[in-house]
Amino acid sequence: MKRDLLLMTAPVRDSFDIPCHEIGPKAAHPAAAFVAGLHGDELNGTFILSRLADFLNGVEAGKHPGLKLLKKVLIIPAVNVLGINLRSRTWPFDKSDMNRMFPGNVSGETTQRIALAVLEATKKAEYRVDLHTSGVDFEELPQVRLYSPSDAQRATARHFGLPAIMERSISPVFTTTLMHAWQVWPGQSFLLRVGQGGTVQLGHCQQVFRGLVAFLGQTGILAGVSLAEGDEEISHFRQGSSKRLYAGKAGTFVSDCQVGRWVRTGQELGYIYDSFSGNVIEKVEAPANGLLTGIRRHPLLFEGDLLLRINPKS
Amino acid sequence: MTQTTETIFSLAMPYRETLDIRRTVYTGGNGPRVAVTAGIHGDELEGLYVCHRLAAWLDELQHSNPQHLLGQVELYPALNPLGLDTLTRSVPVFDSDLNRSFPGSQQGDLPKRLAAAVMTALDGASLVVDIHASNIYLREIPQVRINSEFSDLLVPLAEQANLDLIWIHGAATVLEATIAHSLNSRNVPCLVVEMGVGMRLTPDYCEQLTVGLLHLWQELGVLAPEVVLPPLTHHPLVADDSNVHYLNAQTSGLFVPATAHWTDLRRGELLGTIVSPFHGAVLSEVRSPVDGILFTLREYPLVYEGSLMARVMARKGGAR
Repeated sequence: MKRDLLLMTAPVRDSFDIPCHEIGPKAAHPAAAFVAGLHGDELNGTFILSRLADFLNGVEAGKHPGLKLLKKVLIIPAVNVLGINLRSRTWPFDKSDMNRMFPGNVSGETTQRIALAVLEATKKAEYRVDLHTSGVDFEELPQVRLYSPSDAQRATARHFGLPAIMERSISPVFTTTLMHAWQVWPGQSFLLRVGQGGTVQLGHCQQVFRGLVAFLGQTGILAGVSLAEGDEEISHFRQGSSKRLYAGKAGTFVSDCQVGRWVRTGQELGYIYDSFSGNVIEKVEAPANGLLTGIRRHPLLFEGDLLLRINPKS
Repeated sequence: MTQTTETIFSLAMPYRETLDIRRTVYTGGNGPRVAVTAGIHGDELEGLYVCHRLAAWLDELQHSNPQHLLGQVELYPALNPLGLDTLTRSVPVFDSDLNRSFPGSQQGDLPKRLAAAVMTALDGASLVVDIHASNIYLREIPQVRINSEFSDLLVPLAEQANLDLIWIHGAATVLEATIAHSLNSRNVPCLVVEMGVGMRLTPDYCEQLTVGLLHLWQELGVLAPEVVLPPLTHHPLVADDSNVHYLNAQTSGLFVPATAHWTDLRRGELLGTIVSPFHGAVLSEVRSPVDGILFTLREYPLVYEGSLMARVMARKGGAR
């Protein structure tokens, strides 16, 4: 069922809403809450969650015999509705980052009011998942991000079946994010990073869609899910294990490497060309043995831009 | 006394060009070093003009009484040159707020490296003043914003800066990745000035601050005591989290102010209206919640539900 999280007026357009899906048995609070599109250019998450809503609505309509939703699920495919429509990462009116507006404020800025509505709808869920991509310049291997997690959270993170689980500390810069606002509530919170902004990457989206269904199965929210035999390799990387390579030279970066490959120290992963002369000015080589968990996709490089991230096997 | 313009940071861009951060340095004796930074947000121009006014004053001093510069003055008018060049608040391409990138790092992308270079350049300064010009939406009376963590040191300095307001923020609202917080944490005193409005110059405010900075520098021993300065004309009121009231729009439309910026208001007094361009009726009346003084006033008329239209400071000890 579609519900409006909040209705707001606009100066010269019609009033607008931030819609969500509520699917499954009636309950005071959802068992699982999924949020995407806090940034209007992160299309993988919005696509995945809209497809998940379609799938779960199908389950409710009896289109998937053998599957049954036992608990309520809340899905917000996009928080930054105007940003999606205008292809803007930020809230288009005042260019504010909607993931820096939490915990929100009922009488504050527009984006703080929206943030509060999102937090109120999701904070009491047992499991909360916020989907992001990288920016439009960089591609992330589909991964679960954990922030100073408990052991229980580490275990639950495996239910997504994604190739990498990466731990991070909470930076003081990010105290106004949805993830941070969730952490004070009982229950478990997860951030998924999936691919690159500005596009829908079908392979990544399918992998994460299967991951979310598996997660709902493993957590007992969706009954009847036949789970994979566990042959998917999941690598768990503790905080500080990432090896990052930054561009030593500016220019044009070209690489045909795919994220999710295991690479060896010294392996050639791409080239930097002088954008004017066309000369190769740097061969980009893997700085360590490990899993390629992220790589630069925009070809134009400023000196110092992040080229790639490798996580050694722990 | 010497004057030089030098590059403190240089970084290669994708196609041939480099990004350079430049500063102008006036060197007199071995007295204290002071600095002014501006243009960290590409849509804020007031600080650039203050740097020009200070440079003009120092040029004149170099001509007339060069021995009166006892220390060193550094002007960094354009910390975000790509943003300033392109009417962009953030750092273009990186789409990141440079004033959320401090203290930066030697490793990493342009905003981080730039921030680290600025931190290195400012290390050891006796006073840094970072000048901001609000944004394109709101007009601000000349003011200093101070984090309560550093108020003991900074408030006495701010009181001499010829400004109208000192706003002390609680520790909970601290933005740790700003240049000011990073400098103050490293024992380099840094005052944040907010004044005027984005994408515009307010020459009167710039002159007011210029006079204040010269007085501060004289007090710190950067300028000789015998230098005769224009008199201080403003003494600040003090605001904190307890007496600042925010007026956010109850509905969307065009905000039309009914009163001038920096005026006294009575509780309930009409401050402005929100109207619709489609209809003749007034959608919302905006009234002052307290007896106080209007120190922030919306400049960009369109408002969304929630947009900030004004801030009113209740007079301390007055009706709340």
